[in-house]
Amino acid sequence: MNSGATLFLGLFVSMACSFLAFVLGPQLQIGNLAQTDTVVTGDASPQTYPIGQPGDAHQGAEIYRANGCTACHTQMVRPWSLGPDIQHGWGVRRSVAEDYLFEQPVLLGTQRIGPDLANFGRRSDLNGILFRLYDPRLITPRSLMPSYRFLFEQHAIQGAASPDALVLPAQIAPPAGYEVLARPQARALAAYLLSLRQDVYLFEAPPPPAPKTNAVPAATNSTAK
Amino acid sequence: MSATDSPARTATSSPPQTLRAGAERLCPAGLLALCAGAVAWLFIALLLGLIDSLKFHDPGFLAGSPYLSYGRVHAAQGTALLYGFAVPASLGVGLWLICRLGRTVLAGRFVVFLGALFWNFAVTVAVIANVCGGGRGYDYFDLTVHCAPLFFIAYLLIGVCGMLTFHQRQPGPLYPSQWFVLGSLFWFPWIFSTAAMLLLLMPARGTLQSAIHWWYVHNVDNVFLGFAGLASSFYFIPKLLGRPLHSRQLAALAFWTIALFGGWGGIPQGAPLPSWIISLGVIGTVLTAVPVLAIFTNFYRTTRGDLKRLDDNLTLRFSYIGLLFYFVAAAQQIVGVLPNVSAITALTWFGVAQKQLFHLGFFALTMFGALYYIIPRLLDVEETAWRPKLAKAHFYLTVIGIVISYLSLLVCGVGQGVLLVNPAHPFADVMRSTLAPLRVSTAGDLLVVVGTILFLLNFALLLTRACFKCWADCCVGKEKQPA
Amino acid sequence: MSPDGAQKPVNQNGGEPSAGFSEIPLWLIMVFGGLFYWSQLYLDGHAGGFSPKVYAPYDSLDEVIAANPKGAGDEMRILGRSVFEKTCAACHQPGGTGKAGIAPPLAESEWVLAPGGDRIVRAVLNGLTGPINVKGQDWNLSMPPWRDNFSDKDIAAVLTYIRSSWGNKAAPIKPELVKAARAESHPGPETSEELLKIPVQ
Repeated sequence: MNSGATLFLGLFVSMACSFLAFVLGPQLQIGNLAQTDTVVTGDASPQTYPIGQPGDAHQGAEIYRANGCTACHTQMVRPWSLGPDIQHGWGVRRSVAEDYLFEQPVLLGTQRIGPDLANFGRRSDLNGILFRLYDPRLITPRSLMPSYRFLFEQHAIQGAASPDALVLPAQIAPPAGYEVLARPQARALAAYLLSLRQDVYLFEAPPPPAPKTNAVPAATNSTAK
Repeated sequence: MSATDSPARTATSSPPQTLRAGAERLCPAGLLALCAGAVAWLFIALLLGLIDSLKFHDPGFLAGSPYLSYGRVHAAQGTALLYGFAVPASLGVGLWLICRLGRTVLAGRFVVFLGALFWNFAVTVAVIANVCGGGRGYDYFDLTVHCAPLFFIAYLLIGVCGMLTFHQRQPGPLYPSQWFVLGSLFWFPWIFSTAAMLLLLMPARGTLQSAIHWWYVHNVDNVFLGFAGLASSFYFIPKLLGRPLHSRQLAALAFWTIALFGGWGGIPQGAPLPSWIISLGVIGTVLTAVPVLAIFTNFYRTTRGDLKRLDDNLTLRFSYIGLLFYFVAAAQQIVGVLPNVSAITALTWFGVAQKQLFHLGFFALTMFGALYYIIPRLLDVEETAWRPKLAKAHFYLTVIGIVISYLSLLVCGVGQGVLLVNPAHPFADVMRSTLAPLRVSTAGDLLVVVGTILFLLNFALLLTRACFKCWADCCVGKEKQPA
Repeated sequence: MSPDGAQKPVNQNGGEPSAGFSEIPLWLIMVFGGLFYWSQLYLDGHAGGFSPKVYAPYDSLDEVIAANPKGAGDEMRILGRSVFEKTCAACHQPGGTGKAGIAPPLAESEWVLAPGGDRIVRAVLNGLTGPINVKGQDWNLSMPPWRDNFSDKDIAAVLTYIRSSWGNKAAPIKPELVKAARAESHPGPETSEELLKIPVQ
């Protein structure tokens, strides 16, 4: 322990062990994942999964990343034995590596200040998302989420009102003669959020057994988050 | 640099010998740039953390601008804390320790200075990129593809000088702090380059990115920062107490077990990875109980319960409390990784509390203690040049702030987890009910910010005094130079 | 460094700290040993055999197989898939695409899709050698026999999987068919002429 060379060698071996276990090992096992077949019952034929993000959704993922949405939201459903995620209706099964095949970067997040979004596409729709981005308290009155109004623009109505204009309640509606429209970024983000679903079953993620607690039914569109 | 101090100088009350032994008047620019930059970035990181914390009092706070949204500020805060403060502080204190313990001068002083400037430039670019939405979404690795090489080059410049300094040390056995500093010097470029390659330059496929990201963050915290902070504690606590370190063997055990097991972990339970990867992380984290116990035993026997010396020595005080927080943070990490606990506490404020305690409670406090000792020696002034009232206020404000913030986040996290276990509680209601402790943590954050301002003030006054002295000696008082 | 650190004056090293030589306490070594033993038990129970397909809460590949839905033919497909991925995919590739110089494709191969499956059952049981034409291409490689490595159920399962994957749509193979084919002794590997003599249903 008195020689720099011994220290270097020992540290290198330790580093190599850690690297082998957590970088090289996983790379060999899941580094070359490809699309796979879903698991179905009966005579239904399996589908290919996952199928990658359509164009708008891919841009939406960039906006999601650029606005730091991962600071508050995660996108991983934990198994029923390791957390109440499935009971809260955030997914029908746990998330596995196959689900994130086409994500770059993978936006798993580290903390939940907002609910998990891995299956958000199952429980929301375009209008719901746009309203929530404009003012989250329109959808969830007790929400802590900040408003993202800079994703929208307000301009004077020219001629007829635009069919896509947001219909807002009186206290936050724009002044007369003005309308609020979602910018392309908001629509792309909405397309991305609507594409988030992990509701097919895979070999490694078969349908989980019913949880033993009295579970609420899977969450519907708006309130039970 | 610091090695111009005469070897007979001790930390006790004997008056200093010639403060500039030798004809060279070495400007301590490199290490000073690292340390000063580190503290400045810490202040910025704490400020950004405060802004984020205030958003829990009103979600509309600064929500109008995309640049100040919670996510971007959070990313910028992480970058400023880790790359702006933690890494340069480790390098500055570590290089100083190598010089001191090797009884040699810093090799390549100008290169270190250049490296420090370049590193600060890289951090500036990275933080601005975060605020503009350029980060990759990886917590504590929110760097764009262009920033990573900048950091790497700057680190190489400084690290190579550190290695050369170590190489030209005086012959003799190595003291444990030297192992720890070398460990941290080697570890960072390996993990950083792996993460940069496999996350930014040639991204791995799917959740492999997440595995590598979690591995990197865990290594940066437990191994790199752990080594750097422990190097400082292992040096200052025995030295300032006037006692030898209790056991070299225990220090060696701690060193090698941290190197071996410290990096095995960081992957949350329930992550979308095969269970063997997560299980390896669990056992690695639990096995870090061994180095923690080794360090605890070592310091307990070294200090033998002698707390009287704490009153008169600031460095000792910071190092003690830092070590205490290290044990608490390590214990929390071990408990939090077990499946039964993790089912409740994972992905809540519980993990944030642990990270904050580790970064601020252990690492920042230990570095402050080291800086209180090192900076006067770099500037060639007396250690008593620190304003004692400012220093004491800094100490109390920071420690109390960290404790308040940690305890409130801990309560918040555990409360959030326990309430969420029952699926009948809607998520928004659970988060609302945990707002109270979250808002208390803002008070803690504020205290820490104020404490850091006091330190910066103290530092500025010290710097002014040093510059004045330097001017007085160089330009005015040549005939008054001591023999 | 002094062997007896406790009494040495602090200035011995010129003001720098020194490290004493006290041995690692026994209790710490026992704690280390105990934790290490626990960690091995934990890996045994929770590492899923280091398989990439085992995710918590399942602890082994068998549990994953057991948890998968059992519909008509599904159990066989799932078993067949795991057999295929462990053994056949090495040569025939995970997507059944085959590889030049290694193995012919199975996806949309007329040999695989032939009704009844008698030909491919024998190819798997006894091996296959010599020239064979698959999807209009000539192959001349050698496939080892698998009768001693796999049970009737395994072979039926893997053929069921192959016949219902990658665009193949053919009926499952039953283990009884494999058992009957196994009963006919066949000294060496099959050749394509011999297989072509077997009638398809």
